[in-house]
Order: sequence, then C-alpha cells, then structure tokens
Amino acid sequence: MSGEVKAIFEPKSVVLVGASAREGVGAASPVFFGSLVHNTLHFFKGKTHVVDFSGRLNGSVKNLSEVPSGCDIAVIVLPPKLVMKNLRKLFARKVKSMVLVAGGFDQHQLEELTRVAAKQKVRVLGPNVLAGVINTAKGLCITLEREIMPPCGGIAMISQNCAVGTAMLDRACSYSAGVSKFASIGGGADITETDLLEFLTQDKETKVICIYLESVRDGRRFLESIREAVQKKPVVVLKGSTVREGVERDRIFVSALKQVGALQVSDIEELLSVADALAKQPCMRGNRVAVVTNVSGPAVLVADVLSREGLALAKLSNKVTKKIIQTYPNTSIADWVDIGIDANGDRYKFVLEQVLSDSGVDGVVVVNELKSTFLKLEDIQEVAKAAKKSEDTPVIDIVMCGKDCVLVREKLRGKDVCVYDSPRKAARALCALCSYGKTLKRFGK
Amino acid sequence: MIELAAAKKNVTGILSSIRKEGRLELTELDSKRVLAAWGVPVNRTELARDLSEAVKVAREIRYPLVLKIASPDIIHKNEAKGVKVGLTSELELRQSFGELIDNVHAYKPDAKILGVTIQEYLPPAREVIVGALQDPSFGATVMFGLAGVWAEVLKDISFRLAPLNAEDAREMIQEIKGYPVLAGIQRAPPADINALVDIIQKVGQLAHEFPEITEINLNPIFAFDDGKGAVTADARIVLGRGK
Repeated sequence: MSGEVKAIFEPKSVVLVGASAREGVGAASPVFFGSLVHNTLHFFKGKTHVVDFSGRLNGSVKNLSEVPSGCDIAVIVLPPKLVMKNLRKLFARKVKSMVLVAGGFDQHQLEELTRVAAKQKVRVLGPNVLAGVINTAKGLCITLEREIMPPCGGIAMISQNCAVGTAMLDRACSYSAGVSKFASIGGGADITETDLLEFLTQDKETKVICIYLESVRDGRRFLESIREAVQKKPVVVLKGSTVREGVERDRIFVSALKQVGALQVSDIEELLSVADALAKQPCMRGNRVAVVTNVSGPAVLVADVLSREGLALAKLSNKVTKKIIQTYPNTSIADWVDIGIDANGDRYKFVLEQVLSDSGVDGVVVVNELKSTFLKLEDIQEVAKAAKKSEDTPVIDIVMCGKDCVLVREKLRGKDVCVYDSPRKAARALCALCSYGKTLKRFGK
Repeated sequence: MIELAAAKKNVTGILSSIRKEGRLELTELDSKRVLAAWGVPVNRTELARDLSEAVKVAREIRYPLVLKIASPDIIHKNEAKGVKVGLTSELELRQSFGELIDNVHAYKPDAKILGVTIQEYLPPAREVIVGALQDPSFGATVMFGLAGVWAEVLKDISFRLAPLNAEDAREMIQEIKGYPVLAGIQRAPPADINALVDIIQKVGQLAHEFPEITEINLNPIFAFDDGKGAVTADARIVLGRGK
C-alpha cells in the first residue's frame, strides 16, 4: 500500500493542470492556480509541466495531450465538472497519482472518479485539498499558499483539515522546526490517514509523525498502524471534534490512542513544541529532571510545573555536586542548580557536562535569563552544544522573556536544541519524551 | 477462559431465544445467565414465579437472601422499590414478597411481572462497575469505575478497546482517580485486583465476540479483599436492532 502512496511524496515529475483565466473564487480559482505554479517552479527539484486550459501562463501548454506520459503526480486545479469532463484525457497520460484541489464533487462523481482511478491503479489525494503535499528534501510544495515552505527536518505532518494543516505548517516555520513531509487528506475519497501513516512509518527522513484528526474511518486498522509506527518513531495526535462527537466518545478515543502508544496533545502550539523535542532529542528513561538556571525565581515556576505534570526533580549525586562546587563555589545546589547571575558560557558548559554525567538524571531543563544578568546571547550556544552531544539524556532550553526567546531561537536556528518560551511548554515536551521512553520499553525496544 | 467454542454456543443460544421473544433488553436473570455462560462470576440468582416457589428456592439458596422484582419492564429496580436486601427468615420473605409486587404495581401499573428473583446475599465489599459498548469508530470498548457517585457523578471511569490483555486491564483499574480505594486506604487490605482484571478481560471479549451486544453493564460488582474474588451482583445486557 505505502509503495503506491510513494508517488505522492517522492515524485520525479509533476504536472499542474488548471485554467489561469477562469472566473471564480473557489479552490480552483486562477489565483490559487498561480500560487501553485509559483511554488512548484520555485521550490521543486524535479520536472514540472504546466497545463493551462486558458493558454496564458508562460511555459505552459494548452492541451493535456502535450504533456509527456507517466508523470508521478497530476495536481488538478479545476472545478468538479471540468475534472469529470477531462477524466479520460487525464488517465490517458498515465499519471501515477492525482491531487484534487477543488471540493464540491457529488457522490456520483466521486464514485465514478475512484472507480476509474482504482482500475488504472492511480492513487487519489482529495478532493478538497488546498494545502496538499510537501516534501522539503525534494522541494515539493503542492499548496495554494505562498511562503509556507518549512525548513527541512524530522517532523512529518498529516492533517484531515487543510486550514489546520496550514496552521501547523505556519507554526513549524515560526518555530523553525524542521519538517520532512506534509499531507492533508481533504475529502479522503481514496488515500486515508492510515495510508499516509504507513508510508511515513517507513520513511527514513521522518523522525516523528504528527496527525490532526477529526474522525477515523477504519478505526481498528488505523490503531494497528499506530501500534506498528510507535515501535519505530513517536506518533503525536491532535484530536478535534470533541464537541460534535461528545465527551464519552472522545474519552474512548483518548484511551484507544494510549493503548496503542500514541501521544496526545491539546492544541497546535503544543503539537509543535512536543514534536520539535521528539524530533531533536533522545527520549527519557525515567522521570527525573535536573534544572540548571542562572536565576532562581523562574526555577521555582519550572519546578512547580514539572511536578504538576508528573515529573520529579533529580537529586544530583554527591560526586557531581562536589565537582561543581569545587570549580564554582557560589553555585547553589538544592532542588535546582543555580549557577548565578554572573554565569557565562563556560560555566554553563562545565555544569551541564557534570549534570549530564549523573546517572540519576533522566532529562535536563536549562533556564537562561538574559535580562539583568551577565549572560550573553552568544553564551547560549553552549546549551545547544551540550544538547547535541548528549546521546541518551534530553536537554531543553527555556527563555522566560518573549522577545529574548525569539532572539535565542534565531541564534540557535538549525541546531538540535529546543527552545521554549514557557515552563509549561517545556514540561509538556519532557512529558512526551518520558512517555515515549515508556512506550519503547513496553514494546521491548 | 472456559472453552471458547462451547461458551460461544451457549451465549448464542441464550441471545437468540431472547430475540425470538421479540426482546432487545435482557432481564437481570438473562444477563446473569449470559455472563455465567461466559465464565464471569455472578451471585446465585433464581426466578420464583409465586410465593411457594420463592419459599422453596430460598430454602435451597439459604438465608440471608436478596429479593428483587423480575420484570422486563422495570429497569431501575431500586427506583420502583423492587429490591429487598438481607432477608434473614422465611417470615420476612413471606412479608416482603407481596410488598415488593405491590410497590412495583404502584410504580408502573402495566408492568409485566414474571415474579421475583431470589439471590444469594453478598457480604459488604468495595463495589465497582464494568461495562462495554460498541464505539462507531473502534467497535468493542470496555469501561471500568467505582460504583455509585464515583462513576455516575464524577465520571471517574476509564476505557480500553477490547479485546485487551491483562496489563491493559490493570492499567484501566489504576488509571481512575479512586484507585487508592481499591489499593487499600486506612489500613484496609487491597481489593482482589486480579479478579477484576479477569472480569474486565472477559466482558471485553464478550463484547468483541458478539458485536450484536450494544451494551453490557455489570453494576455493581462486589470486589472482595485480595484473594477472595469478585462477584457480579446486578447486570444488564442490551442487544442491537440488527441481525
């Protein structure tokens, strides 16, 4: 099954079919067709063909028959009537897969379409796919939105809704969280969340899979696919539609996900902050977290939220404590490690090395306060270095001040460290690392 | 589990005879027959159609006893004042029998009354609920909680999809907020968790094997102290319209 979905994610050639001079404001409008052509010509590393029924776009051809046979994806930006009218011609070009941007197909049209597609062995994504498919490594960006191409990375995203999917992509861009692949399902006439999940489980570039769901068709098969997936990589689910489906059904869904080892989040923000940590950091073997900070006040809040989330404060061993005190006698080591407002990069480096060598530490939270301290933006590089070096203990960073956090994130862009602007987000990320550690243990990995 | 094929055959037989009578809601007695056939422990429960039968059955089961109205039209037996718990003598039984039937007549004059059930009395224990339903997306699902306010008002319940392994069932029990009550508070010994794990698994298996069962509710189950088992004191099973 996943082999067939491959053409959608890893095309060598793409044909975009639309009409640049149509009247209309729907998904198949010329504006969106223009954006799609722009995105593909701008980013895509493979071969792009453009069929413009209006015959106006530069470099386009007017007839489907002028496109070479055997393209991997045909992206159709036409209203249902025109899609159905050209169906035969489309399949005659022997495309391997198809993305249907427009919605509004009636039941009869959909049945006809899926019947012919199945006969020709063409997989169909959609209809109603406004934010379609992204593969950052290949520069594939089948979306109707410009400037939504996220950086390369390990997070894969599946969304049952285009607008939520777009918001996920936008967050990934602003978090500078790297994305491997993205697909939204739209109407789901053929390709389902389970097909995509199975493909992404095998995908080497994907380190964590995020899914936005409202409902599931083949529920049992979907859950079995998650059970398979989590043995290789974490799966994070954001579930919508509690109001529509009722609290009890939602609780059943939550329990079912827990049973198969998926992680659950409550909003897009949390989805990204958790996924970023899972993609960049090792999971936790236990729940003991060491807090290293240059100011004590924020550490109080961090400690509180860690305990609320079911995590424990690590107690450093005598040996490690002694070593730190010998080198930096003013360090205060109790519930957290306060290295003082005069701490610089070197001190962070040394203390983090010691803390990470302690077997009683399962995870580390670093708090950087830039305001009214002697810490410089440059010094925070040491946290990123420690995070990269640490192979079996995650290190994550909290910058309490909003503007400073943006600066730090910018400074550490592309590094394997996660920077959060609130203790709660950091704690949720650590919880995810902790529960994925448990899941792996449960499956004997 | 007692031999699956035989158990399935027994349950299929009971369910089809219920359908033949044109009913979808099983009485307590029917429900307990299904559960017993499936290997779920239930307290001994016998139907007595009149007073003389009641006296006879009571001598067999022995006092103390529980007396409950047997009517397919009465779902909430307590609300109809159709339950007497802890009858200690034949004299009490004779008095209660008529009283029970009068109460139910007053509550619902047109209720069809089959008689009463005479039931083995269970000593006080911690009371829990195990239920099952068919979720539209995921199919057979089991539910667990502490009986009464805990489950019904505080919604302190947990769910898992069926069939489920013992580890999942144990997690379900530990997941509820009221778990310390079962683990043992104020020097109380723990309840028989293993017996509950077994019931949860069996109820899940029953819902999984019989998708035509849309609802199972074992409420309450008496969970005795560790090693002393757990017994279903009341139960209700509902069938779907199809099939």
